Amino acid sequence: MRYVVGYSANARGHDAVNLAVSLALGRGASLDLVLAVPEVQQFGAAHAPRAGYEHLLTEQAQEWLDQAMALVPSGVPVQAHLRSGESDAHALIEAAEEFGADLLVIGATSNGIFKRFSIGSVASALLHAATVPVALAPRGYHRQEALTRISCGLGSRAGAEKLLDFAIGIAVNRDVPLRVVSLLELDGGDPAGAAGAADAARDYAEEHLAAALPGAGREAGQEPKTEVAVAHGRSIEEAVDRLDWEDGEVLLIGSSRLAKGRSIFLGSTASRILRALPVPMIVVPSNYELKQPDQPASNDIPGEAQK
Amino acid sequence: MSTEHGMSKTSHAGPHKGEHGENHHGLSEKGLKAGSVGLIGAVVIGVSCIAPAYTLTAALGPTVAEVGVQLPAVFLVGFIPMLLVAFGYRELNNAMPDAGTSFTWASRAFGPWIGWMGGWGLIAATIIVLSNLAAVAVDFFYLMLGQIFGNPDLADLTKNLPLNIATTLVFITLACWISYRGMETTKTVQYVLVGFQLLVLGWFAVAAFSHVANGTAFDATAISPDWFNPFAVGSFSAFAAGVSLSIFIYWGWDVTLTMNEETKNPEKTPGRAATVTVLVIVIIYMTVALATLSYAGVGDTGLGAGNPENQGSIFAVLAGPVMGPFAILMSLAILSSSAASLQSTFVSPARTLLSMGHYKALPQKFSQISPTYKSPSYATIASAAAAAAFYVITRTTSENALWDTITALGMMICFYYGITALACVWFFRAQAFTGAHAFFFKFLAPLLGGVILLVMFVKTAYDSMDPQYGSGSSIGGLGLVFILGMGVILLGVVLMLVMAKVRPEFFKGTVLSRGN
Repeated sequence: MRYVVGYSANARGHDAVNLAVSLALGRGASLDLVLAVPEVQQFGAAHAPRAGYEHLLTEQAQEWLDQAMALVPSGVPVQAHLRSGESDAHALIEAAEEFGADLLVIGATSNGIFKRFSIGSVASALLHAATVPVALAPRGYHRQEALTRISCGLGSRAGAEKLLDFAIGIAVNRDVPLRVVSLLELDGGDPAGAAGAADAARDYAEEHLAAALPGAGREAGQEPKTEVAVAHGRSIEEAVDRLDWEDGEVLLIGSSRLAKGRSIFLGSTASRILRALPVPMIVVPSNYELKQPDQPASNDIPGEAQK
Repeated sequence: MSTEHGMSKTSHAGPHKGEHGENHHGLSEKGLKAGSVGLIGAVVIGVSCIAPAYTLTAALGPTVAEVGVQLPAVFLVGFIPMLLVAFGYRELNNAMPDAGTSFTWASRAFGPWIGWMGGWGLIAATIIVLSNLAAVAVDFFYLMLGQIFGNPDLADLTKNLPLNIATTLVFITLACWISYRGMETTKTVQYVLVGFQLLVLGWFAVAAFSHVANGTAFDATAISPDWFNPFAVGSFSAFAAGVSLSIFIYWGWDVTLTMNEETKNPEKTPGRAATVTVLVIVIIYMTVALATLSYAGVGDTGLGAGNPENQGSIFAVLAGPVMGPFAILMSLAILSSSAASLQSTFVSPARTLLSMGHYKALPQKFSQISPTYKSPSYATIASAAAAAAFYVITRTTSENALWDTITALGMMICFYYGITALACVWFFRAQAFTGAHAFFFKFLAPLLGGVILLVMFVKTAYDSMDPQYGSGSSIGGLGLVFILGMGVILLGVVLMLVMAKVRPEFFKGTVLSRGN
């Protein structure tokens, strides 16, 4: 099992490495640190020869990769790769496809100073085009221990079942509890209505969870501990704030990839969750889940070895 | 680190070895692809580096001021030293491909002091051209606004000094920011820009000749064979000044010769591309030069090409009368090509500064590469600051900043190309007589080219002391062009001495050693 980590020699890159280590520890995954350098080409540079500059860039990139390798504890197998492409996102996706990676890990923050998560340009390009799940490390993520809990954001959209199956698989393989999370945006005026909506959401989530658990075809003892959490607020962000989050938790969210190209990969709700979320988020492509039944050898992320 | 930590083994893609000390311990560098540029692509790169629309508008006027109707002759003769030097440049590039180019080569040949000044000349030339490019872009930006809204007052805004300086600084900042973010003009954009420039320049020439034929030209002048006779130029001073300006119009052509691994057929493509590029450029220069002279004459009144008012940017004045309502295309062509060149030229001083920082010839900061954008960060910003400062100083002290910067630029190019060419001769001195090819390309051609350029440099520098030189601006009885040119070189000497004090390693010759 391989995770491709999009590394750059800044705080964002460190966040990504830390998250990748946390994710790898529970599953014995190996990491591929990929540093993307821009293609040095002639068309955009007058009076500036390419050859020697490429060399300096490579030398610097190599130094950065050496530093990155040193961030990874010795128990986690890691390789470093230097790639170039039209864009960082392009280079990362190509690397992920080449290695048959199960996950792309990146630091997602831009230079915005207000929110923990405000999506950087590489991350947002990836979220529009990646074909494997993308894990987004929040600003200043420094944890390097195995996960302690999986949360799964449950929407009413079609495909929620697939995401839930996927989440159960991850929780089982990592032997951690699963929490199904429902976030509601309600205008505060009517407490009774709010309570009603929350109850309905809870019922909906429990129903889906119950359907997913036996349906996953697992043997006894392979069901994770589960719980359902419903939070509401005047905004999604407030709802996220009201939930308790463990340090070692990640939130799985399904993508809403409508079309290739310019379409929004990350739904608007998911983007807003991301803005308030204190823990990492893993965005799972919708067609990714649909592939699972075709791969009977694995109930989890393809390639994850069964216990 | 545990044994599980491994680097995937793939050999280093580049041809570059040894120079910087150690070889790489195998990093996979997939995607650093070579051989992607074909003949047409290489020609487009060559033409886009020369940026003919911008070059002509900037250099035609000042050259006419020096040599009058012998403009075509000087444009043709000016190519000879460029060609000779470019041969040497190619030899050096093949032997030592390096981002520092002139700096590195001159250091290897002549040691750290001359090497440092060679690098300084290259940086100064590119900084000066940056400020000129930005200024030309700003002129045509306002001219185009005036043409779009049919309001000549808008075009005149560029003559408002504070506004002009502010807009130029904005252009420089924008180009710097784009460069800092590591964004480059793409292949498609360059194809479009180059095609558009050639089309508009052709259009201008045809329109000018048809005015001449219809008797509607400003000062119809019959083409005479004398125009092509370089010996008809009045004085050696004028000739030297003209040649050093025409070095500027071919500046950038050498890139076609030095593209090797990136071309599809390294044996043939660079040579062919260089030939095709120079043919395209010479044809377009000759056509436009003849069209301009035929239409406007060299008189010093009205639209005449000899009118000092017109010489900073000739097309800004002539495009309207010649092309009528389509003059806006000329504005668009020059604006787009100078803006694109502004951005792509930023790469050059930034990479040279980066390389000098890397070799400890400049403070450590210059060797920084942005971890986020992977571009030379400090060096790019330093280049922008220098270009902005140069522009502000020139604009506020000169009566015709564009004219004087171009003249100073021609001098600076002669200076560092001259050093580079002689570096080639000296570096390869042991091989000079080992065969006909080596004798010509590593010895004779660069020697002749280098000597010609350094003679032009000294002559122009000497003449420019005259307060009437160039646009006729002067400070303290010395011509402004001299002050600009020599001032920049002296500043280089001072900075070099400071650096030798602060960071002596490079100047002890231990970082970049001399010899083969």
